[in-house]
Amino acid sequence: MKKNIYQPVKAVIEEVIEETRTIKTFRIKPEADFSFATGQFIELTIPGIGEAPFTPSSDPGIKDRFDLTIMKAGEITTKLHTMNKGDAVGIRGPFGIGYPLPKFKGRDILIVGGGVGLAPLRSLLFSLFSQINEYNKIVLRYGARTQGDIVYKSQIPEWQKKDRVDLLLSVDIGDDSWSGNVGLVTTILNNAAIDFTKAVGIVCGPPIMMKFVTLKLLDLGIKPEDLYLSMEKSMSCGVGKCGHCRIGKFYACKDGPVFTYDKLKDMHDIWD
Amino acid sequence: METYFLKNEDISRFYDRIASEYDLYLPLKVKNPIKKDCSCQAVASLPTDDYVLKRYTKDSNLEFVFNDYRCIEPTRAFFTQYKEELCTYFAETSTKEKKERPQALCGIKNCDLFALKVQDYVFLGGAEPDPIYKTRRENTLIIASDCPNFKEVCFCRAFNINPYPTEDFDINLSPLNNGFLVDVATAKARSIALALKDIFSQATLGQISGRAAKRELLVRRLDEHLTQYKIPQKETLRDIVISGYNSTIWQDQMRTCVECNGCVFICDTCHCFLLSDEPNNDNSKRLRLWDGCLLKNFTKVAGGANPLKLRYMRLRNRYLKKFDFFISNLGFQACCGCGRCIEVCPGKIDIRYILRKLHEEKYLPTS
Repeated sequence: MKKNIYQPVKAVIEEVIEETRTIKTFRIKPEADFSFATGQFIELTIPGIGEAPFTPSSDPGIKDRFDLTIMKAGEITTKLHTMNKGDAVGIRGPFGIGYPLPKFKGRDILIVGGGVGLAPLRSLLFSLFSQINEYNKIVLRYGARTQGDIVYKSQIPEWQKKDRVDLLLSVDIGDDSWSGNVGLVTTILNNAAIDFTKAVGIVCGPPIMMKFVTLKLLDLGIKPEDLYLSMEKSMSCGVGKCGHCRIGKFYACKDGPVFTYDKLKDMHDIWD
Repeated sequence: METYFLKNEDISRFYDRIASEYDLYLPLKVKNPIKKDCSCQAVASLPTDDYVLKRYTKDSNLEFVFNDYRCIEPTRAFFTQYKEELCTYFAETSTKEKKERPQALCGIKNCDLFALKVQDYVFLGGAEPDPIYKTRRENTLIIASDCPNFKEVCFCRAFNINPYPTEDFDINLSPLNNGFLVDVATAKARSIALALKDIFSQATLGQISGRAAKRELLVRRLDEHLTQYKIPQKETLRDIVISGYNSTIWQDQMRTCVECNGCVFICDTCHCFLLSDEPNNDNSKRLRLWDGCLLKNFTKVAGGANPLKLRYMRLRNRYLKKFDFFISNLGFQACCGCGRCIEVCPGKIDIRYILRKLHEEKYLPTS
């Protein structure tokens, strides 16, 4: 039988982990073989409702299941948030190009996440951790709106303990129980003890955060070709045919979803 | 490629032979009595009738004709339907291969063939071809034909596309004297010609040069018609659209847009679609619907952000897609000069005018 690129493979929700009031992590077990490279995305089908694109947040080294960390935002995600362990979903993919890990070897890696944007970055962190001696320093800077909006709360302390890892959090609005930095994530970028001009920068978060982090990192000396940005676009097919996710001469689904800034810098309105 | 001559009186045998193997679609004339409101004699003399492709059957009493120019509807509608089921999912019995009868499309013009190259790039290219498009494309016999005339909106020649096909067809018909020259280009076409060898005579040199003269005359007439529009040359299209990013033309032109998206859906090079699911007991359906970048929610994401929230941004995006994206990736523009979008627009938004303005703003700036 001819392969139909639009037909999803059945998968089952194995576990639902509540991260914040609006964000849940879904552990998904596909019924067919499935693997992905960190940074690639999948199309998740809610049966009879439709599809939406998400980047797995788990370790790509784990082959039989993967995690999706998803914020309740639109029709698909609202429905997904009502679903439970044992419910069936569908997946297509993986699509797009992952992070080029070999290019990161021996270098300082500065990872900046905002809100639920930490999801794809967690997958990247797991990949880096699995060969941690291959890299120089791994710096993670993560910003969330409030303490209650921080994802992966139970895992972050473990990451902090690792050698070579420098991890700082910031919240936009603090309270008495928060002892960390208060302010936008851009306020905790300068203090990384790395040579920015030789480092790799990786950013994922809401568009407004991406914009200001990008400007700040360029200011600190990161080269445009070393700055990896996750571009959020409306996507439907995942294979460069439906036309929704065009960015200049690229499609986010097949040429991205991660782009280095040198490819985007001359384009208009990339942050809209 | 072999060229034969087929007499007018034998054309129905030709059609019947094709219809025995294919679902054959032939042009029907749609009378369009509304004359253009134009004082210009040259324009008033141009034809206003239209053509649509309808299924031919031997006993049908429809009056099929030879179309003098392209049909109303885009050819792509024969390869991706406006709304169609792509697959079902999860039930054990899902996705039966639906067998479609091969189709033969007659009256396809060179602008349509040019547009088909864009559709092929999208649906056959990339890492994975679209299985439905691929099957249909392989199962389609293309019977192209010369344009002996043109409509007021035709502007293929502005992009050096000729009003007569020379490649990318199975068969091409060129009307000549009391019959047609028939170019036979592929194996599929050869088997038809072989079966009809009693009515196919070898084309003479005189007939071939007669056709060349007719073609040349039509090209000259069309070029003359196009001079008034000052459409920029295709080599400049990408530059003028990019440099016109901040032009006021986008806002100016969108004043009369009623957001019907007629231009998108009638366009033969447009290809965008949306996957949409329908519940159906345990066997949900996945549909493909044509989508259009002039529709408000085309680029809206779940969080509510919409990079193309204003109408003028969407018009500009459409031109960037056609003249930047495609020229950068495919090497030529996604516009075949068929003029369907001009004809369909209730707001009189005219691609010829927009391109001319963009060109003038770049190369003839007013001080």
